[in-house]
Amino acid sequence: MRRSRRALPVLLSVTLGAALAACGGGSGADGNALTVYGAPHGELLSAMADGFTQQTGIKVNVRPGADAELANQIVQEGKASPADVIMTENSPAMGLADSRGLLARVDTATVAQVPSKFVPSSHNWVGFAARSTVLVYNTKALAPGQLPVSIMDLAQPQWRGRVGIAPSGADFQAIVSAVLALRGETATRQWLDGLKANAKAYSNNIAILKAVNSGEVAAGVSYHYYWYKDRAAGGVSSGNAELRFFGNQDPGAFLSTSGAGVLASSKKQPQAQQFLAYLTSEAGQKVLAASKAMEYPLLPSVTNSVLRPISVLDPPEVDPAKLNGPEVVTLMQKAGLL
Amino acid sequence: MPVLGVLVALLVLLPLGFVASYVATSSWAEIRQLVLRPRTAELLWNTSRLIAGCVLACAVLGTATAWLVERTTVPWRGLWRVLLVAPLAIPAFVNSYGWVSLLPGASGYGGALLIVTLSYFPLVYLPVGAALRGLDPALEESAFTLGRGPLRVFWGVVLPQLRPALAGGCLLVGLHLLAEFGALQMLRFPTFTVAIYEQYQSSFNGPAANMLSAVLLAYCLLLLLAELRLRRRARYARVGSGAARPAPRVRLGALTLPAVAGLALLAALSLGVPLGSLVYWLAKGTTSHVAFGPLGVAAATSLGLGATAALVTVALALPVAWLDVRRPGRLATLIERSTYFGNALPGIVVALALVTISIRVVPALYQTVPLLTAAYAILFLPRAVVGVRAALAQAPPVLDDVARSLGLSAMAGLRRVTIPLTAPGLGVGAALVFIAVVTELTATLLLAPTGTQTLATRFWASSDGLAYGEAAPYAAVMVLLSTPATYLLTRDMRRASSG
Amino acid sequence: MTALTVQGVTKSFGTTRVLHGVDLDAPARGLTAILGPSGCGKTTLLRLIAGFADPDTGTITLGEQTVFAGGRSVPPQRRRIGYVPQEGALFPHQSVAANIAFGLSRRERRSGHRLRELLDLVGLDREIAGRNPHELSGGQQQRVALARALAPEPDLVLLDEPFSALDARRRDDTRRAVAAALRAAGATAVLVTHDQAEALSMADQVAIMRDGRLVQIDRPATVYRQPRDAGIARFLGEAVLLPADVIDGKARCALGTLVVRTPSVTGPAEVLVRPEQLRLRHDGDGPTATVREISYYGHDAAVRLTLHPDGLPITARLSGTELPEPGSEVRVTVTSDVLAYPTPDTRGSRPPGEALVRHQ
Repeated sequence: MRRSRRALPVLLSVTLGAALAACGGGSGADGNALTVYGAPHGELLSAMADGFTQQTGIKVNVRPGADAELANQIVQEGKASPADVIMTENSPAMGLADSRGLLARVDTATVAQVPSKFVPSSHNWVGFAARSTVLVYNTKALAPGQLPVSIMDLAQPQWRGRVGIAPSGADFQAIVSAVLALRGETATRQWLDGLKANAKAYSNNIAILKAVNSGEVAAGVSYHYYWYKDRAAGGVSSGNAELRFFGNQDPGAFLSTSGAGVLASSKKQPQAQQFLAYLTSEAGQKVLAASKAMEYPLLPSVTNSVLRPISVLDPPEVDPAKLNGPEVVTLMQKAGLL
Repeated sequence: MPVLGVLVALLVLLPLGFVASYVATSSWAEIRQLVLRPRTAELLWNTSRLIAGCVLACAVLGTATAWLVERTTVPWRGLWRVLLVAPLAIPAFVNSYGWVSLLPGASGYGGALLIVTLSYFPLVYLPVGAALRGLDPALEESAFTLGRGPLRVFWGVVLPQLRPALAGGCLLVGLHLLAEFGALQMLRFPTFTVAIYEQYQSSFNGPAANMLSAVLLAYCLLLLLAELRLRRRARYARVGSGAARPAPRVRLGALTLPAVAGLALLAALSLGVPLGSLVYWLAKGTTSHVAFGPLGVAAATSLGLGATAALVTVALALPVAWLDVRRPGRLATLIERSTYFGNALPGIVVALALVTISIRVVPALYQTVPLLTAAYAILFLPRAVVGVRAALAQAPPVLDDVARSLGLSAMAGLRRVTIPLTAPGLGVGAALVFIAVVTELTATLLLAPTGTQTLATRFWASSDGLAYGEAAPYAAVMVLLSTPATYLLTRDMRRASSG
Repeated sequence: MTALTVQGVTKSFGTTRVLHGVDLDAPARGLTAILGPSGCGKTTLLRLIAGFADPDTGTITLGEQTVFAGGRSVPPQRRRIGYVPQEGALFPHQSVAANIAFGLSRRERRSGHRLRELLDLVGLDREIAGRNPHELSGGQQQRVALARALAPEPDLVLLDEPFSALDARRRDDTRRAVAAALRAAGATAVLVTHDQAEALSMADQVAIMRDGRLVQIDRPATVYRQPRDAGIARFLGEAVLLPADVIDGKARCALGTLVVRTPSVTGPAEVLVRPEQLRLRHDGDGPTATVREISYYGHDAAVRLTLHPDGLPITARLSGTELPEPGSEVRVTVTSDVLAYPTPDTRGSRPPGEALVRHQ
């Protein structure tokens, strides 16, 4: 009792000091810094943001979040949004922001840098990276002959309890949106119902990779780079796993576009446009290719030799502007996956 | 004071009002589409069976351990007292990280039940142990002289008296579970709170998240009503004056070894596994070497946010507790009750409401420390109220009267009497808020200013990406920061037990 | 000289009226006890005098200073009063010395001279100055509380049931020590209590409060010997009240014909006989009674009897040397004159068994 009374003033002054320190150091706000709402993985984002800062001297503050989270956030924020740039891992979220008229038109020079299949017809955002849908499977559980021909096969009863998906992630939702765009609503609904019965739900693709590697499930729907990244780091979580690229323009070969756009409400239009230009420039794409992210650069002149070449993936033709996020969420809610 | 109290209550009820008005303005078709669907039933089932199982397990574990330590001759009681409370210093999501990173299979219902029980059983152990120490041993002695054996005495005499403490502890476990996000997400066991976060991620502040919030709030309301009923019936375990005598201890004899083994196993599971796992990942650190820069920044941020929130929350708790202690009545009870919603509201619900409200009403506050602090205050006000109320009970109004009769003005009385007397209790309240803020995750993720990273969000980002080695230092610092506050908490409970 | 004057003070809490026009004068340097059962309003009156609450109407004057009149109130810290609450209410975070010196100026607090003086005054060992309140006995705590109240030399000391929490032996010692200290300090004091022995033994003036009114204010001996009505008589100690018929200063009742001290009363009445006025003999004159039980206290004893022929229960207080056997028959006589109170008409027909003994 006595001791605590003497300790109290000390405690109080320490906490007060800490509080002041936090107010000073926590915000780190810089008048000229760009605020980027960024969904891509930390290593990719920070590599490219650092490259941009080195080249231009403009600092970048990143607010991390998931695709839909960030897109809906700027919808909610409207004109008051503190964001200058939004970057998502998949295109449906960009489509949502674009459909609400929140994005400014991208500089024509920047659009011209990017292959046209990675730019929506509105020209209000641009792709800067791509990732391929894959089936990651446990080599002990599945022989190559047992692998499905199409991603649609996973809805069949023989996959009950043997396949992992991450339904709450934007990655999987992008894949569903590709299925919807390619096969229509009825087929998509049946496929989702099958998956609800068959699939184990994981929180993200890394968890799926680990579960497949440990044999918890035989296979899982994922993007290619999780496996490549783990193999590059020693293969602890991927030694027993291999990738099946569906190819053949199957919905399961869907190539998802990571996009970036400038917010119409941004008061730093030139700097924000500069950021997009950098992302899609040869310099920016080389940083992407050299990073640990293992995502596909979009410029034909820049390649990552570790990855299966983008030219042999044979993805289905999907207009990134036509991928419908909200409708996918509704379908998945009806199927009980969300 | 009543006006201040009402204002505080209104602040706390803001998220509740937001959700309620959202539901009220929704069409029936919308509600049916979003609420009355199989997923809701699944979440309801998951949430209910987790709460039922975990509350039961915590009740059994907490009571059994408290009885062993307080009422039997089990050796090393001082050690067990520390070890049985220590799990509180390990946030539940760090605990599940410890388990999942070593045993990826520890997930689903079984894993969730095991791990959250290990995290939360001290919430039952503490009040039950305190009640056991406060019981009048005369009752037990009379029962023994009437020829009852130890077990029948426990069942027939001791347990009924423990009921208020036991029920209070169980309720606390239930409310914690309703709000738990990180641990259950990591264990892949979707409850309402987990699902709301998923909805938020897939449709920021979308209708579905708000509808699920409404269902969750109804659930909270149910638990709070249960608590209200129990509290009304609760009595102090011991009436009359005189110093408490130590109660007779049951001789364990040949059962000593199994008892010690059981306690040791519990300690190993609840402390050994998470701490061992933490040490393992710290030592291994192959994923990356410790980045001291970000760690320091995150620690300073957590510390600063925790301290700010602690000060603000204790200040807000003052009028509420003051009314409750000094002006008891309908209004005071109503205000005090309403602050308890914070205990039951998941961070995600509060954050969602504040995001929308601030964007629409006060955009200047959006993504700022003040708004985040408000969220913390709403969430953790009950913890502060508990401490402040105990503190005010230390300074009865008669002391004010005496001070004034001795010529002191109201301010001087405050300075020389009320503040010195209440400071330790206020400190406890502040410490409780601090520990909660340091380990808070969802509200921080949604509301923190862009670029602000706390220990919890850093830890979460790493462990969500399964970069366990990278996450370990953040978890370790969180545990270190939580330890002194946990100690304070137990000291307070220990003292409360003797008074 | 009057140190405290209360005039026409009323106070209500909500719709409940607690004080109905209270008038009280407390002489300087004297101890006035306000005596009444719990809930009669005596503590409320004390708090109004202290200034912790304000009356609805009336005036309160302390010495020359009007501290409450017409809604204007002097705050308690400027009334120069000392206050000793129930159970002392020492500041738990301060030592005995700091508690006593609490109301002193910074300089006086440092010197320590006044502290020693006060400890001596209340009869406490100087060594306890360094202790904490929880290390003291209840009686010591009360003495410290008194020393604390006396330290700034207040014009008036208010004591609110200060001895009720003490056990019997300590209560007596503490009472005497407190009374002596108050007298030595020359302080004017107002003591609130529900214990008639406390009021009678300590006070210079006893004010009896009933249902928010002061019904009698007199010296202790007067209120005991000449209570204004039967209710006061009962409240002040064990009383045998018997229905009687008074004619020409003589009361005829179950105890025979008794001389009445109050000549103005005639007709149907109640006579007050104190138990110590009764004598028991084995033979001789007087009504007979059967001894039911005897409570032996050492210095004296209470003998409970059933009076013949109506079976009225009465109590006699006798010295412990000559006690009858339980079950035996005795004759009862009254040693001195008695008081009589006219019976209100409504009370005339009540059953005799209810009329008698009330224990405090």
